[in-house]
Amino acid sequence: MNVLGAFFDKLGLEILQRTHEHLFLTFFAMLIATAIALPLGVALARCRAAALVSVVMGVAAVVQTVPSLALIAFIVLLFALAHLPTIGVVPALVALVLYALLPILRNTYTGIRQVDPAVIEVATGLGMKPHQILFRVELPLSLPVIMAGIRISAVWTIGVATLCTLIGAGGLGDLIMRGLRTIQMDYLIAGTVPAALLAVAFDGILARLERWLTPEGLRTGGR
Amino acid sequence: MIRFENVGKRFPGGVDAVVDLTLAVVPGETLVLLGTSGSGKTTTMKMVNRLIEPTSGRILVDGTDVMRLDPIALRRKIGYAIQHIGLFPHMTVAENVTVVPRLLGWTGERIASRADEMLSLVGLEPGAFRDRYPTQLSGGQQQRVGVARALAADPPIVLMDEPFGALDPITRDQLQNEFLDLESEIQKTVVFVTHDVFEAVKMGDRIALLDGGRLQQLAAPAELVENPANEFVDQFLGEQRFQLALVTRTLESILPGDEGEPVDGTTDSGPCLRARDSLITALDRFKQSRRDVLPVVRRGRPVGRLAKRQLLQAITQVLDESGGSA
Repeated sequence: MNVLGAFFDKLGLEILQRTHEHLFLTFFAMLIATAIALPLGVALARCRAAALVSVVMGVAAVVQTVPSLALIAFIVLLFALAHLPTIGVVPALVALVLYALLPILRNTYTGIRQVDPAVIEVATGLGMKPHQILFRVELPLSLPVIMAGIRISAVWTIGVATLCTLIGAGGLGDLIMRGLRTIQMDYLIAGTVPAALLAVAFDGILARLERWLTPEGLRTGGR
Repeated sequence: MIRFENVGKRFPGGVDAVVDLTLAVVPGETLVLLGTSGSGKTTTMKMVNRLIEPTSGRILVDGTDVMRLDPIALRRKIGYAIQHIGLFPHMTVAENVTVVPRLLGWTGERIASRADEMLSLVGLEPGAFRDRYPTQLSGGQQQRVGVARALAADPPIVLMDEPFGALDPITRDQLQNEFLDLESEIQKTVVFVTHDVFEAVKMGDRIALLDGGRLQQLAAPAELVENPANEFVDQFLGEQRFQLALVTRTLESILPGDEGEPVDGTTDSGPCLRARDSLITALDRFKQSRRDVLPVVRRGRPVGRLAKRQLLQAITQVLDESGGSA
């Protein structure tokens, strides 16, 4: 108990602050990534040019294969060349968003593509307009798949966000790096455990959201 | 009501799905588009509500070229049911049924009462089914919901693309019969696509037999079966001609005119035959009633008696005829 008390006395406040920064980075990165990937995924699913689809998906996939550390380095370099600020939240968010895009994009695309064509045809035949088909049929039916993509993305982003300390964007990475540099276990733990807990909590909340948003008729096992 | 004038559909790549099709669907009738896959029957049907657009000729609905109508408004006025059922899995039964009324912006109250009304119409108890989801229904129940959805906004025209195709034979037969009853009540103009000649003969007032995108024959079922217009029609009916004739030929063809003595009142409540019964239905009635002679009624009035022996003679005659023409 004494050990824990001392630990929190020393690091409690900083843990809170870094967690807050971490949450901020992750949340806004996810928000922006979803806002980009969701409409883009819908557009790709409707796109008839197969070549264009594979190019966009390919680019997103390539971004994913770049090691996260290298991606951050590239962003900083590009920002430097463009005379933009290379330190702080903005370049960090750009890197996180790029990294979070692919799972959401891919799942939105496949989610909408896997909707039974017969259902779409009936919707058309009954006189739904294209936007009605999208919002009343395609999105509700592909929601579980899209949400799965968002969850994968969120868990990754929380992990990658620990690297944002390198460009001065704060977050739990600060504690981890300090533990590494000064060889202090308590800093390392103070950065790692909350990051892991955040990932679990995010995933849990999104799972709840997914269940709440998923239309009742699609839930397995009925009611 | 629906008129095809020299309609053609050439798909990109040069495939002609429909060639120079001219036919009119009479208001209130059920016109069956019959043919094998690739015959152009489904393409023909889908051109009515512009799911597919013709590349030549024109299609008139109530005198207006469909290409000059707003497709959304056109489709909402035409009921649509398909083979793969196509219920929206994320919507309840009631929501599925009332898709079109909701698109049309009916009031909530009217929508709710319409849902119940339609479910009762297709033989589903509203209280038990309205809040269920499609996955919780059997195939037959789903198809009933599909039919209810097609009829929900009371469209004057209904398009049905093999609506009973995915069902087992017994359920299919039951739904066909119910739809016939329903159809005689609500009097819709129905365009019904099928590849099953027995279904065509059963459901259709007239049958349009298509092959390779061309109309081969347009006739009432009995006419189609007894007087095939060309070699193709003859071959299409093929081996089934005998069975089809038993289904399409009615007792009218063998009734001894009006000379039969009036039937006395005592037999009125017992089993009887109707003049418009098919030979096969009549045979069934003899079997069920275990009698050798049954009274025959035409539009509720007794017109004579028929002996089982006479019926069997007629059936033998059909067999001879279809054997002779094969």
